[in-house]
Amino acid sequence: MSVADNNGSHGESGDDQVDSTPIAVLETVRRQGRVWGDLAAQYGVTNPDPPWKVTLEATCDVLAEGSCALPALERRWEEDELSKELYAEVPFPERQLLALAHSMIRRGLFDEKELARRIEDVHRRLTSV
Amino acid sequence: MPDKEDKQMSEKHDHGEHKAAPMVEEVSDFEILEMAVRELAIEKGLFSAEDHRRWTEYVHSLGPLPAARLVAKAWLDPEYKKLAVADGVKASLAVGVDWIKSPPTGFGTPSDYCNLRVLEDTPKLKHVVVCTLCSCYPRPILGQSPEWYRTPNYRRRLVRWPRQVLAEFGLQLSPDIEIRVADSNQKTRYMVLPVRPAGTEGWSEDKLAEIVTRDCLIGVAVPKPGVTSNAKRPIHPAVHPVHHHH
Amino acid sequence: MTTKPHHDRTHHAKKATGIGDPQCFKGEAGPAKFKIGDAVRIKNLPDIFYTRCQTYTRGARGVVVAVVYESPAAEDEAWDNTDKSEWFYSVKFPQKELWPDYPDAYPNDTVETEFSERWLEKA
Repeated sequence: MSVADNNGSHGESGDDQVDSTPIAVLETVRRQGRVWGDLAAQYGVTNPDPPWKVTLEATCDVLAEGSCALPALERRWEEDELSKELYAEVPFPERQLLALAHSMIRRGLFDEKELARRIEDVHRRLTSV
Repeated sequence: MPDKEDKQMSEKHDHGEHKAAPMVEEVSDFEILEMAVRELAIEKGLFSAEDHRRWTEYVHSLGPLPAARLVAKAWLDPEYKKLAVADGVKASLAVGVDWIKSPPTGFGTPSDYCNLRVLEDTPKLKHVVVCTLCSCYPRPILGQSPEWYRTPNYRRRLVRWPRQVLAEFGLQLSPDIEIRVADSNQKTRYMVLPVRPAGTEGWSEDKLAEIVTRDCLIGVAVPKPGVTSNAKRPIHPAVHPVHHHH
Repeated sequence: MTTKPHHDRTHHAKKATGIGDPQCFKGEAGPAKFKIGDAVRIKNLPDIFYTRCQTYTRGARGVVVAVVYESPAAEDEAWDNTDKSEWFYSVKFPQKELWPDYPDAYPNDTVETEFSERWLEKA
């Protein structure tokens, strides 16, 4: 890993930090999901951040402590890697969320099917009248 | 401590950090994904709902006001300024921030640790803060980092081309000034104590704190009378590309 | 696929609660090898997987500006080898030392960053 590659200002993590092959369930969210910028504009909401940004940060924190399922430095390096191409066009914090889910799946903390089922479940709960 | 949090929350509202705003009517796929990830993690035993709730409360309580007040106090009290520079953790207590004993851990967080260093600017020395490795930030006293601080664009370029990056933020400094980039690669977290600007004679601590914005505390802006919010950040393409030929 | 570091901070919690990190490692590193004002060079140690010593500092010469705290080195801490602590130092480098083509128009610009003792040698 030469100095010229990235101005030499990155740690020696190696570029094979995370498998950035797209994950189907996340690709669906990426393609179809409405980002906060659009939603806030549509509804005239002035808060610059979506309401789930704080809970997302808390999830990242709590995964890095205790039994440490996903340490902070590695999560950030993987997020950088995934933000280079796969999630490059996604605004923040949606990008952070996709990268987190991606890292967790690649780490084997849960699998795609489980996530897809849970997404369906949450969707049903939140949209039922 | 609900009273203190409420006060901080209402201060945040006044300061425009988290404006009270109507909610959006629809549930986005991203909102659903965030919940799904969290619920699945709890089901898998990665953390408890209670732990997550405590962290959410903690993250929600954080903002840049304590750091601004630390600066204002230091401007008004030379002894406090000396303390702030010598022992940032102790000085933080005076603005209500306990790096060590705060919930939820009682010994500091895995991202923030407990070693704040306050970097004092002088007319000949300007500090600016970065974490090239991953975007570490003094959250307990400054709140969540802005998006631009976390990007590889900022992290890689600031240490290499600080003057160009600062110029993009609208800050241009004379060539003989020492621009010192502080890269928080280990356990220390940095905040900047800028030079007190002219035109603030006789100001109260509150009035002084108002002009110490988050961007001033990171070091990409300097405090100015009348300027109480961070500048908007247009996304610039890199002036100097990341891949540099030698 | 390389094995990733594994941590368990529950042991750490017992040691550090009420005391803080890095405060909980105070007194464990022994005498500090360097002091403020010492000229040092950053060693180019081989990376085993995980390091917090930035590539751009390797081989550069700087000055110790602060002796900051004692702690296990990041390279050990990542693998939960927290039995040994080292002194950590804040080192300041002239920009010209880090980037040979840094503009001469700005001769006083610097970078300050931290290193555990293993990364430093007398310059």
